[in-house]
Amino acid sequence: MVPVASVDFTSQLLQYFANGVAKGSTYALMAVGYTLVYGVLQLINFAHAEVYMLGSHFAYYQAKWGGYLPDEPGAKPESVPILLVGAFIAIAMLACAAVGMLIERVAYRPLRNAGRLAPLITAIGVSLFLQYGGQVVFGTEPKLFPTFVETEVFEIGSVKIPNTNLLIVVTTFVLMLGLTLFVSKTRPGAAMRACSHDMRTAKLMGINVNATISLTFAIGSALAAVAGVLVAMDQPAITPLMGVRIGLKAFVAAVVGGIGSIPGAALGGLVLGVSESVVGGLWDTNYAEAVAFVFLIVVLLLKPSGLLGKATREKV
Amino acid sequence: MRYALTLLIALTALFSASLTGCKDKGNDAGGGGADEIRVGVFLSLSGANADFGKTTKNGIDLAVEEINEAGGINGKKLVIIAKDTRSKPEEAQTVAKQLASQDKVAVAIGSVESGQSIKAAPVFQEAGIPMVSPSSTNPDVTKQGDRIFRVCYLDDFQGQACAAFAYKDLGFRKAALIYAQDDDYSKGLAQYFREAFKGMGGSIVEEAPFQGDVSEFKDQVSKIAAAGPDVIFAPVYYAKIGLIARDFRKQGVTVPLVGGDGWESPQLIQLAGETLEGSYFGYHYDPDDQDAKVQGYLKAYSAKFGSDPNSLSALGYDAVYAVKLAIELGGGSSADQITEGLRKIKDFKGVTGTFSIDENRNAKKSITMLKIGGSNLSKVKVIKPEDLK
Repeated sequence: MVPVASVDFTSQLLQYFANGVAKGSTYALMAVGYTLVYGVLQLINFAHAEVYMLGSHFAYYQAKWGGYLPDEPGAKPESVPILLVGAFIAIAMLACAAVGMLIERVAYRPLRNAGRLAPLITAIGVSLFLQYGGQVVFGTEPKLFPTFVETEVFEIGSVKIPNTNLLIVVTTFVLMLGLTLFVSKTRPGAAMRACSHDMRTAKLMGINVNATISLTFAIGSALAAVAGVLVAMDQPAITPLMGVRIGLKAFVAAVVGGIGSIPGAALGGLVLGVSESVVGGLWDTNYAEAVAFVFLIVVLLLKPSGLLGKATREKV
Repeated sequence: MRYALTLLIALTALFSASLTGCKDKGNDAGGGGADEIRVGVFLSLSGANADFGKTTKNGIDLAVEEINEAGGINGKKLVIIAKDTRSKPEEAQTVAKQLASQDKVAVAIGSVESGQSIKAAPVFQEAGIPMVSPSSTNPDVTKQGDRIFRVCYLDDFQGQACAAFAYKDLGFRKAALIYAQDDDYSKGLAQYFREAFKGMGGSIVEEAPFQGDVSEFKDQVSKIAAAGPDVIFAPVYYAKIGLIARDFRKQGVTVPLVGGDGWESPQLIQLAGETLEGSYFGYHYDPDDQDAKVQGYLKAYSAKFGSDPNSLSALGYDAVYAVKLAIELGGGSSADQITEGLRKIKDFKGVTGTFSIDENRNAKKSITMLKIGGSNLSKVKVIKPEDLK
């Protein structure tokens, strides 16, 4: 019942910045999936947003069948032990990786030599199929996501950061770092880069192109699963259409950051998230997205290949 | 393969032929055969607001069962044709067209969400079919035409009542608003609250609207937190309030939230966790009323569905009995007779209170403010329309 004390402008700005970084991290984690696939196949994998949705649902059903959701309405859900949370997330990641590879095998591989438009259309098809199939299988009502961590709020000065947000930022940072190392230091990573530069030459050099592409989808999809679970922990209501909005934003983030570039995806996500929050906070929450997107249009007009994109990499 | 295809086409043709055959039987202008009255129902039976539709439908089914078991109305049985609006206003318009042109209903009952009722009302108005909304509170609903009625209170009253409750009963002077800019109900209710609260001498220290199907309210919450209100008015639907309340508590905002009837759902407390503890919202009837009618309804509902009824189911129940009374007053079950009958309803005694249909086809009723504590809802105050004069 104690009224909140009014806070000064700087702390407000910092609070919006913190909100934006948390939001932007989820965009970044999703944007990597778009950017990886685009880098290798020059394909926009629209079904990626639905893999994100599946990730949170896979975690949800594991917890539900494990008995961590009360049957009767009104009862408080039990907290899931931390080791089990890890296991749920790992299984959701594996399942999503499998789904991602399956989507590639069924909807994209048969069209690999069919130009760029055909797989784009199948991508939209798979995306819609999963959205509406999800509504049939999971139901259309928002589902309460189980309590994976009890909420705690950290205060730095007057800036309040819930542990769920901190977890999003830290996890995203660690995964992005791991992914960058993987792509730059390991042999499969080198194969991915080779495919991205020139798929035919990579094949001639003895690289298993199909396996490399499958791996790309598996990694992107596993990251989408993590994003799905992290967001569901922060906003515990999941629906089969939850991927639509974040998918669009992550795609935009990937383009703004420079599609095909992993650090670009991270930067694009953060820029989008922070500009949304700051505009919303300082001006009007109603038009935050509109203004953020105008800002992004300006960025693209000034630098059409994106913030960290290489203009020379465009293949004809 | 080709044979299978031919067979499929033949079967489809046969099936659709039999369907049209069925439909023709009940196709006379009266909306039903000699021994039945067709009542169209359109509600959110799935989607984000599915609880609204499900609880209302329970109330409707209970009333229809009672009426039919007692021999119907003038010997005619009520037949419910229910359509799912999937929680979308555009879908409400689509199913309204189906109910009006294919199912030829004599009267329509729906919907809970004002956005849906506003979209469906012109369809029924044009088809000459009366529509009774059980619980759409936005004033614009009944302005869609002279065949559009409702049996619940209006948002100008609800907004004023919530403002008076926050200002006078809870003693708050600084309010903040969070609402859905693109929803008729949410935006309207916020507007009435704003006007009334300012009119009493309070101030609105911050407004943080949102748009679209968002599930994340960090920035709205930060903005409101910075303004330091002592109460937050959040006229949103139940699926959103849980997420909004969680985001407020995550940023250390502990002041009470106040909302309208849109919070009502059996899942409210589960969706919000403990974050709505000490918050208040408006309700359509007083379940503690010792009146035999209310208590009888509570018993019959629990016996049939095995769960506690809420005020949306009570309004669905009352809407059906209002239609029954309209048929009796209008002297028949054609669309025109029911419309005439609905206009004549005076001092109708329902579960949700006694009310008359006024010249604007609205009902004047009391609002019950409930407080959320633990897993219980407790009555704090009943506010009557005359209290606010």
